[in-house]
Amino acid sequence: MIRRTVLRPTLPTVPSTGPSTARLRRLGGLVLAAGLLSGCTGAPATGSAPPTSSDRFPVTVTSCGHEVTVDEPPSEVVTLNQGATEVVLALGLADQLAGTAYLDDAVPEEWQAAYDAVPALSAEYPTNEQLLAARPDFVYASYASAFEPAVAGTQDDLAASGVGSYLSPFGCPEATDRPEASFEAVWDEVTDVASALGHPEAAERLRDEQEDQLADLRSGAAGEGLDVLWWDGGTKSPNVGAGDGGPQLVLDAVGATNVFGDLPGSWAEGSWEDVLAADPDVIVLVDAVWDRAADKRAYLESDPVLSGLTAVREQRYAVVPFSASTAGVRLVDGAASLAGQLGELGLDG
Amino acid sequence: MSLRGARGRTGLGLLALGGLAVLVGSCAIALGVGSVDVPVARVLAVLARRAGAGELDVTLLEDQLVWQLRLPRILGAVAVGAVLASSGAVLQSLTRNDLADPFLLGVSSGAGVGAVSVIVLGVGVGGLAAGAVLPAAAFAGALAALAAVLLVASAGGGALRPHRTVLAGVAVAHLCGAYTSVVVIMHGQGDAARRVLAWTLGSLAGLRWGSALVLVGAAVVALVWFLAYAERLDAFAFGETSARSLGVPVTATRWVLMVGTALVTATTVAYAGAIGFVGLVVPHLVRPLVGSRHRALLPASAVAGAVLLVWADTAARSLVDGQEVPIGALTALIGVPVLVWLMARRTVG
Repeated sequence: MIRRTVLRPTLPTVPSTGPSTARLRRLGGLVLAAGLLSGCTGAPATGSAPPTSSDRFPVTVTSCGHEVTVDEPPSEVVTLNQGATEVVLALGLADQLAGTAYLDDAVPEEWQAAYDAVPALSAEYPTNEQLLAARPDFVYASYASAFEPAVAGTQDDLAASGVGSYLSPFGCPEATDRPEASFEAVWDEVTDVASALGHPEAAERLRDEQEDQLADLRSGAAGEGLDVLWWDGGTKSPNVGAGDGGPQLVLDAVGATNVFGDLPGSWAEGSWEDVLAADPDVIVLVDAVWDRAADKRAYLESDPVLSGLTAVREQRYAVVPFSASTAGVRLVDGAASLAGQLGELGLDG
Repeated sequence: MSLRGARGRTGLGLLALGGLAVLVGSCAIALGVGSVDVPVARVLAVLARRAGAGELDVTLLEDQLVWQLRLPRILGAVAVGAVLASSGAVLQSLTRNDLADPFLLGVSSGAGVGAVSVIVLGVGVGGLAAGAVLPAAAFAGALAALAAVLLVASAGGGALRPHRTVLAGVAVAHLCGAYTSVVVIMHGQGDAARRVLAWTLGSLAGLRWGSALVLVGAAVVALVWFLAYAERLDAFAFGETSARSLGVPVTATRWVLMVGTALVTATTVAYAGAIGFVGLVVPHLVRPLVGSRHRALLPASAVAGAVLLVWADTAARSLVDGQEVPIGALTALIGVPVLVWLMARRTVG
């Protein structure tokens, strides 16, 4: 996750300053005051929060060294980054959302309707004012950059103004706080979030479903005996799925072998020399908004050397969306999709 | 700058032979270096087979690694090094400025505008394959910047006086830099910032035969072209007035050489990015050895620049396992100590 986490911020790192915190609180007060004066309480909620047993609260969850205690179920949750939004959608708790922001590509079709019912505050990060205007009582983000002063403000600042917050452990600013990528670690995050939102049973349900799916994929072993190159991007030298991240989990789930599985980290810079030497059976083309799978395929087929790879000559590709390759709730779907595509290629390992 | 003929004719001849031997030896060593191990004997077999000495049991993989991936990249390094270093030598004499380098006329920053438009904004060029868009856009950007600099520098008389030209170059470079920063900060997605930075620092990765031959062609044209002007450049060393009194058409020479160096430099930048330091420093390193007469200085700079880049590129792709080190950092790392040593010995500066 290191590479992604470091690169995600599109905002310059601004040193946290006292005045900005004070300004943030004043602005919060102004927004609130303006709301009260005009007698307007914002858009009516699309649905009231589902019943929660109050004896579950207070709930305390901790990530990245930040402890948050939630006294009553949050009903105005704002999610920043696609991963965080998808966790809440997967839990079926969209009606507790007040806003979302920053999709990398698109949420899966099955969640589209629930996603559309919640206002998207911004295409990328909202400004601090946009966030305050959504009046969140809880902010949940995938990357540490979401808690920069220009976006949500630090988690401590939010806590001081009574807003709970949770940062995905995979996005912790300190590398040592980040868990190794595993389905277990994904479910741990999902459980934390579900508990904080007052619905721990939703996490259990999701986990049971995904465990069943994974068991099916493992017994199906669609990738058995196949050497796979997981190509994330980069033409001069390939950025590849390495041995310790989402890509490896997906490949393990379908029983395939990652040709760069011995490289450390989630993603790493490989070399075309090694790719030629390994001559993979199948190439996974990661589809990201900023680097389309179709462009990657066109590059492979037009390059005088790489077009000689067996997988290119035989057109053995699989396409996985970038958002289903990072440690998150869609990883299992990514594995299922890959298994299906490998099945269609009809290869005998 | 006085004209120093450092050595006699035989001395120079020996130096030329020695320089070429070092260059060929460096290339031979570089051919054996890569992330996949190919023994020296097999490297020689690949070359011998390509030279028509029979099949020699060369495998497709060996041929791909040595002949199709490494050799074009090494030839590219030779060509880029030769072009940058000899262009630097020409421009330093032409402007009588020790700080002149091949990017004086804004070609690197102009190319950056083209590159960032493709990398971040995804601007396409009709009818070009994905891999060819970036070089084409970078080259176009370099030409546009060059035109702008020439326009500004020659406004109010076409004499292209050095100080006006340098100033115009600085101005256009800043404008281009502003565009690049704004685009990356405001529109960068995913790892766009890293890709732009990597492009800016230059890289010879991904060079195939087609582009390598273009670069070698540019280097040959550049050397022949510059050498034809060797005596006029010698005259420039005494200053504009002396050159004029020696019968040199000052303005015409400036135009031809400034546009010429910019065009060949733009060609290298299109394929390899803006590799710094070579064009600035190599001429300074070479002058104490061969003197200031351009008939010796230009080819000597070209050979020395080529050797420097071959080694810098070999280090770039082999120093750190599984990661390319930016070549621009390595040219500085290798060149600066040599420059400092020469300055301490007072042979330079």
